[in-house]
Amino acid sequence: MSEFILEMRNISKSFAGVQALKDVSIRCRPGLVYGLVGENGAGKSTLMKILAGAYSADAGEITYKGERRDQASTAEIIASGISIIYQELALVGQMSVAENIFLGREPRHALGILNLPELHARSAVLLKRLGIELDLDLPVSELTIAQQQLVEIAKALSQHADLIVMDEPSAILAGSELDQLFEIIQNLVEQGVTIIYISHRLEEVFRIADEVTVLKDGELVATRPIGELDRATLVEYMVGRPLDEVFPQTEHEQGELVLAAKDLATDTILDGVSLELYAGEILGIAGMVGSGRTELARALFGADPLTGGSIELVDKGASAWGSPAQAIGAGLVLAPEDRKAHGLFTTLSVRINVSIPILSTLTRLGVLKRRAEDQVVREAQERLSIVMSSPDQETQFLSGGNQQKVVLAKWLSTDPAVIILDEPTRGVDVGAKFEIYRLMRQLNDRGIAIVMISSELPEIIGMSDRIMVMNDGRVAGELTRDEAGEARIIELATLGAAEAGQS
Amino acid sequence: MNLLASGFFGKRKRSAQSRAVFLRRNGPIIMVYAFILLLVLIGITQSERFFTERNLTNVARQSAFLGLVALGQMLVILTAGIDLSVGSLVKVSILVSAIVMNGESANVLPAIIATLGLGVLVGLIHGFLINELRIAPFIVTLASLVILRGIGLTISSSPVGKASREVMMFYVQKIGPIPIIAWMFFLLIVLTMLLLRFTVFGKYLYAVGGNIEVARLSGVPIKAVRYGVYVLCSLTAAVTGLLWLSRMGVGDPAIGDGIELQTITAVIIGGTSLFGGRASVLGTLGGVLLLGITANLLVMLGVNQFIQGLIQGVIIVAAVALYKQEGD
Repeated sequence: MSEFILEMRNISKSFAGVQALKDVSIRCRPGLVYGLVGENGAGKSTLMKILAGAYSADAGEITYKGERRDQASTAEIIASGISIIYQELALVGQMSVAENIFLGREPRHALGILNLPELHARSAVLLKRLGIELDLDLPVSELTIAQQQLVEIAKALSQHADLIVMDEPSAILAGSELDQLFEIIQNLVEQGVTIIYISHRLEEVFRIADEVTVLKDGELVATRPIGELDRATLVEYMVGRPLDEVFPQTEHEQGELVLAAKDLATDTILDGVSLELYAGEILGIAGMVGSGRTELARALFGADPLTGGSIELVDKGASAWGSPAQAIGAGLVLAPEDRKAHGLFTTLSVRINVSIPILSTLTRLGVLKRRAEDQVVREAQERLSIVMSSPDQETQFLSGGNQQKVVLAKWLSTDPAVIILDEPTRGVDVGAKFEIYRLMRQLNDRGIAIVMISSELPEIIGMSDRIMVMNDGRVAGELTRDEAGEARIIELATLGAAEAGQS
Repeated sequence: MNLLASGFFGKRKRSAQSRAVFLRRNGPIIMVYAFILLLVLIGITQSERFFTERNLTNVARQSAFLGLVALGQMLVILTAGIDLSVGSLVKVSILVSAIVMNGESANVLPAIIATLGLGVLVGLIHGFLINELRIAPFIVTLASLVILRGIGLTISSSPVGKASREVMMFYVQKIGPIPIIAWMFFLLIVLTMLLLRFTVFGKYLYAVGGNIEVARLSGVPIKAVRYGVYVLCSLTAAVTGLLWLSRMGVGDPAIGDGIELQTITAVIIGGTSLFGGRASVLGTLGGVLLLGITANLLVMLGVNQFIQGLIQGVIIVAAVALYKQEGD
């Protein structure tokens, strides 16, 4: 048997005349972690879908465990020991943890009757092997996203996976959850499992990967052991040019008070959160997933009802809005964390996505002024350099970065005083990321105040003028840029204000 | 001229890619019309009575009856909703209008107002239940289907009331060679196209159907949109009830059954997604014509009417299969 568990040689694939992959080869030894990086559209997903049997390659061959693999069904591929964990987790929400792990392969008695004790016992063994604790009977819809991801990993192990592909697993995780994931990966690797780890976040690749493969525009740029790479080189491989990777700064005095929120509370998790926001600044909000960051954003925007507290937009004299429509009218907007579920009409055109909040102002006698709408869309496209084939293109076909720009364009058209950005660069490639950072600074220069929620600590520290750390629905602490370091933020985010103060 | 062309009809010169996109999106609708053409050719060659003014006038009128409601249904489906109550509402509408009118010319206006008022009321109730009590449109309008049918049959199980003379004349009136009822349908087609293309309400329909949560977070007044669309749909059913009165001359409680499914069928054949966010007026017109011509042709060719149902079923499956291919 070859020393490689997997070899994909000279893989090419095109869709309707567009070359998605051209002559790409990768190979993996057992028990190592392979980072697969590249911008959106670089071909990472296509390559992995070919591995998973979802697409068939136009050319090239795959050798797995020493055997040449021909076209195979998804079921055969899973049976052969390859598991892929997609970003959109494939779990059935109403079913329990144990049922999900063995979905379709339930231990059973004769006549197809479920063997529940066996189901539990085997699930428990798997979770133990991963070193995690979960209630096996809980419906997975009750779990956090991070816990759901662990269920997916357990499911992969239950299929005796020797090769696990993780497609941007960290995109939905934060801080300590990520550490836990890395521990589990380490653990699996020691047991001889091979991991292909797809990510946008280079820090993670450096932390976890043994070898890194970079794709760009469907072609292989480089495969290097991690030791031979530094950050700048890797970015250059990905972007194809050296990138001025410095967080853009502006010098400005503290502006006027724009927004004051006091003692906000919701049914969800918020428990007495207060904040003040000044014109032209970026307030960074850090904290674990589930710490109440997103809930705070939604409460400020009127998307979730408040059970206590008050919000005031100072110079507009507006307060106590009960709906997003009113918040938008008052000049406060939210670019949500989950773009596809909450930010974009994915099946509709760029045009309507950009113009929707101001449509009613673009009318004469109830009739839409198409030219005025086109004008708005054209200006947005130029200002944010949105790459699209036409304003009629459906947003689902745009890259992550361009999708985020469409969301931003939508809100900029309303001329807001406050913009809340929940994970503004998630799923956005490196080049577009810095464009978004620069745009944020331009907005600051125009006096717009920004609240930025992010799981990426370098982003929080690099961009924020002030940083608020949340923990368990409360404010655990507020730091100035100079006080903030990753360690201090993590301490506050994990321990909360009281304990962190004592330590 | 150039501006007009680019504003209204899209770019004059289409790139190869946009032509491909156009074909991919509209290919199935083109096929529907091609199929209609085929049916017409079969009709012309196989039946002497098919391509006569008398028969075509008939087809046009029948298509208009179905088409008016189908347009309302399409708007509801565009918002990812559905209205199962339209058939029962047509039934109650013909009864109410016939009873109020009672053969008197003086009562025509009160009858129209009462019937349209009924439509608005039913639409508002649907909107209320869907918006405020958050009951799924399917359930709300299913209940409404049963309730309205019950009300209709309680009012009378045999024909009641009477249309006035003018109302009965309305059915046979023509402008040029085309029945006035078909003109009404045509007018509503144009209005619906304008609504979807050039009004904020039309855009909001797409937004609510595309993703209601995104719509809410974008400040779209989703409740108002849903009240509006269910009222519009119920109004098309009420109007159709009035038209049925002009055709039947009396309030016949047998009218209306099954219209909900026929309209949904026409809308689906026309390429409107049941998941919302996508609709085609010309597609719905194609679906209506396809159903109307098929039914007519089967009668002309002397095919057993029970087989008609079978053939309609096959058409639905074939049409949906066609649209599914487009997705890949």
